[in-house]
Formats: sequence, structure tokens, C-alpha cells
Amino acid sequence: MAAMTPFCREIRRNILTASRTSGHGHIPTSFSVIEMICAAYDTLRHDPKNPQWPERDIFILSKGHAALGLYAVLAQYGYLPVEELKTFGAFQSRLGCHPDRLKVPGVEVSTGSLGHGIGVAAGMALAFKIAGSPRRVVTLIGDGEANEGSVWESIMIAANLKLNNLTVMLDFNRSQVRSLQIPNPAERFQAFGCDTMDVDGHDLEALKAALIRPAETVKAIVARTIKGQGCPTLAHNVFEWHRKSPKPEELEHLMKELEVA
Amino acid sequence: MRRQFKDTTFDLATRDEKVVIVLGDISHFLFMPLQEKFPTRVYNMGICENALISVAAGLSAQGFHPFVHTINPFLTERCVEHIKDDLCYNQFGANIISTGASFDYAWDGATHHCYGELAILRLLPGMEVTQPGNRQELDTLIRSQYNNGRPTYFRLSDHGHTLDVPVKFGRANILKDAGSKLTIMTAGPILGNVMEAVQDLPVNLVYFSTIKPIDREVIERFKHTKILVVHDAHGLQEAIHEVPDLSVSYHGLPDRFCVWYGTVHDIRKQIGLDPAGIRQAVQSRLATIR
Repeated sequence: MAAMTPFCREIRRNILTASRTSGHGHIPTSFSVIEMICAAYDTLRHDPKNPQWPERDIFILSKGHAALGLYAVLAQYGYLPVEELKTFGAFQSRLGCHPDRLKVPGVEVSTGSLGHGIGVAAGMALAFKIAGSPRRVVTLIGDGEANEGSVWESIMIAANLKLNNLTVMLDFNRSQVRSLQIPNPAERFQAFGCDTMDVDGHDLEALKAALIRPAETVKAIVARTIKGQGCPTLAHNVFEWHRKSPKPEELEHLMKELEVA
Repeated sequence: MRRQFKDTTFDLATRDEKVVIVLGDISHFLFMPLQEKFPTRVYNMGICENALISVAAGLSAQGFHPFVHTINPFLTERCVEHIKDDLCYNQFGANIISTGASFDYAWDGATHHCYGELAILRLLPGMEVTQPGNRQELDTLIRSQYNNGRPTYFRLSDHGHTLDVPVKFGRANILKDAGSKLTIMTAGPILGNVMEAVQDLPVNLVYFSTIKPIDREVIERFKHTKILVVHDAHGLQEAIHEVPDLSVSYHGLPDRFCVWYGTVHDIRKQIGLDPAGIRQAVQSRLATIR
């Protein structure tokens, strides 16, 4: 397991603070995807000062319930003030518990219902191919989301069209052991025609290497992750903490855990 | 009407390089010449309707004008949430073109009958809903709306009416204003049966080719009359009620599956939507007004 970078630790701190202040949760799933989203923004062409830059690459959080993780990363890259994270989920806030592209700079597609963002990502990747553009698309799906048939419909379409400008990252945090866990998603992606890699989902450098590796067709990155990564309390009690916001004493404890992660 | 859809999009694709056709394994052979001419803009993506809507949203997000096409219930009723989220909520435009209106595929049974989607789709914010009655109307409506950046639904039928109605998106046509106390309101291909049924009766006749936005102005003009909606689908009568304080009754679908086969004409006759059945319904309504 790679050591957590100071950048990713800071993002997790901001998530804890935002969750405490706002009263809204989804911390464990957000902690699971931090390195994946950072790796995407480290390797895609984008400009936080000009979120609508016409030549930008595209990142789509298909598992929209990790919105707090996305917002915290976007804030760290300069798309929005870190202070604004504290408004998460509030009535007048731009930052809902699922992301809205018409409100939040850097959010490309409004997601929430599972199995949607990946299809839109495939459509964008096809659009870039038709236009002869070098722009790329990365989408992040959850392993619970991978229960949805539309995920596999989209992958079949992308593989059939050999959309090698599309990368699907799977947050393989095994949250679906309670219901319909895909035991070996790499085999599944391979069977559906993807160029598939299996990496440590908290190893920033390994993720970046996987993202920039050229491929002949749609790429799938199975990122082995831990729900609540960085705080053992969260990782060992994911059901209790699924949507929970920490009390003051819990926040203090989680912050201490995070410092030694 | 399907052939007209092909002809119209062929012409548009020739003029507009942003036109992209996405087929759900329907009309593939019809579109093969177009695919040969524009191989990067015509795709038969397979039988995966939900993903097709999402892909169309992605194409639209990057400036294309996608046309998504397959059989009605699979494209619309199956995909309502994808249309709601990926197109309407995200404000990505696309042209959703179904084939197989109401009982066009009578012989295939209730899984292939589709009469609820006009009513369902009109509930989605930002959605435009049209029901062209024949190929000329389809051509007019597609050319008017295909590149406006909004999600628009076009309902194709294999049994268009033969009347020549100069339609315009969002506007109703007053086909008969007899100064009657009874106004018949109808939409789409069933107009042929309606016209045959009422042409010599003392009623007003209003025709809609757009269900959303509904032409409230024309409805207001007949507000003082009793309104009888004659329609082989849901959607029109609900839309008409956007105008308050109307007196509306409905002659159309029963609240049960139409579990017969045969042809669209057989089913229309069975549920009173053939010319004779419509005439009887209109005469009965007239009798209560006089």
C-alpha cells in the first residue's frame, strides 16, 4: 500500500470538516476515490481558471454519491474555494449531495442515479472521435454501480466502437459484498472487450501510469480501494458511517487517525 | 413515416455535419445508404436503449445533434429515467424518434403497444413532445426542432393520415369552426378517422401535432364550448388541462391492456376508435348538449 500524499491527506481533512459542518455524510465512499480523482486531474488537460476551456479533457463522476470527494478535489485544484465545502448540502449551496453541472465549475455531467454517467462519457468520447479531436474522457464508477445493466451496455458500445479515448475507472471497494458483488471485475471488463488493468486504488503514481498508458480500445482500470481509506474507524464501520456526519469528538478522533495514515 | 424520417435526416446530414444517427438495431437497412455516405455519423449501436439515450446526451454535450431511433416502448417507456436525467436535467438536447405508435404493431401484443409515452414524456421539464400525423408533418417538425439544443420527441407511425394540414411546432390547427357548442380535439394519425367521423356533424375540430408545449391560445378560444378529446393515446387530454376551468371528456383508451392481435384497424374498431365508433361517441356527446 502506497503512503498517502500530503495533498490527498489535506483533501480528506477538508471532507471531514465539511461533513461535520454540513451535517451530511458519504465520507467512506468519498475517501475511497480521492487518489483516483486526483490521478485523473493530474493526467487530463484542464484549466481550473477556465473550466469551459474548449480543448479540455473530461472527467465524469458516474458514482455521483461521492460528490463530496469530487468537490474537495476540485477545491484543492482551484475550481472553487475550500471554504465553500462547508455549505455542502445546504439549501442555497451550489454543492448538493450529488453534483450538478449547471452549478459547480468542473462538474461536466449531473449524476446521482447510477449507471448514467458512464453512457454519457461514452457519447462524449464518440463525439471527440467523430470530430477528430485528441480530447479524452475518464469516468469513475462504483462497484455497486456496476450492478446496473446500463453500465455494461455502455461498455459494450465503447468496446465495439474501440473508443480508446475513454477510460473507465472502477472504485473496487467491495461495498457490494452485502448484495451483488462482482468477485473479479477485471475478468468481467476483459470479457466485455476492455483493455484492463488492476491497480492499487490508493497509489497515485500507479493510477497515473495506468491512465496515461495508450490503448487500442476502451480502457478499464480496476482500482482496489478501501472504503474510508485513511481512517480505520470508517473503514471498519462502513455501514454505520455510510451517510453519517461526525460529532465534534468523533471529528477529533478521525482527524488523529488521518494524521498517521 | 419511417421512410420520411430517413429522407429528412439524409438531407439534414448532408447539410449539417453535426447530425449523428444512433439506431437501436431498428431501421438499419433503411439507413445503410446514409451509413455508407457518412460512416462516422450513422451507428447501429445495438439493443441497449438506456445506454443509447446516455450516449446521445454525451454527443449533444459536445455539440452534435443526435437522432436516437428504435421501437417506441423500448425507447421511451423503458428509458424514462435516462431521458429525465441525462437529457432534461442536464439540459443536453437530442431527437428521440420512435416507431410503432399505439397499436401499429397490434399483432405483436401488448409488449409492443405504446400509448402512454406522450403523457409520460410531457411531464419532464424541458422536454418537447410532438406527434406528427403524417410524413409531411414529420418533415416540417424535424426541420423546425432538430438542432435547438433541447430534448425533442417525435412519434412515428406506419399509418399516417392523408389530410394536408400545414402544421407548425407548438401550434394547433383549427380544421373546422362551426360555431358549435362541442369541440373535438385530436392529435396525430387518428385525425383521419376523426375527420371521416365528424366532417358532416355540427362540431368544431381542432388538431394538435405538438403535445408539449400545448397551444393554450387555441384551447382558450374554445373554452366556452364542451370539449371532447378523441385520441388513441394518453397525453393530449392531460395537456389540454393546462388551461383551467374547461369542460373536457375523453373518448380513447380503456384502462386495460388491449390483448388482441390483428391490425391497428382491428384494435381501433374494438375500442371504438374507428370512424363509426368515433361518430357514435361524438353524436352521444352532442345529444347531451343540445
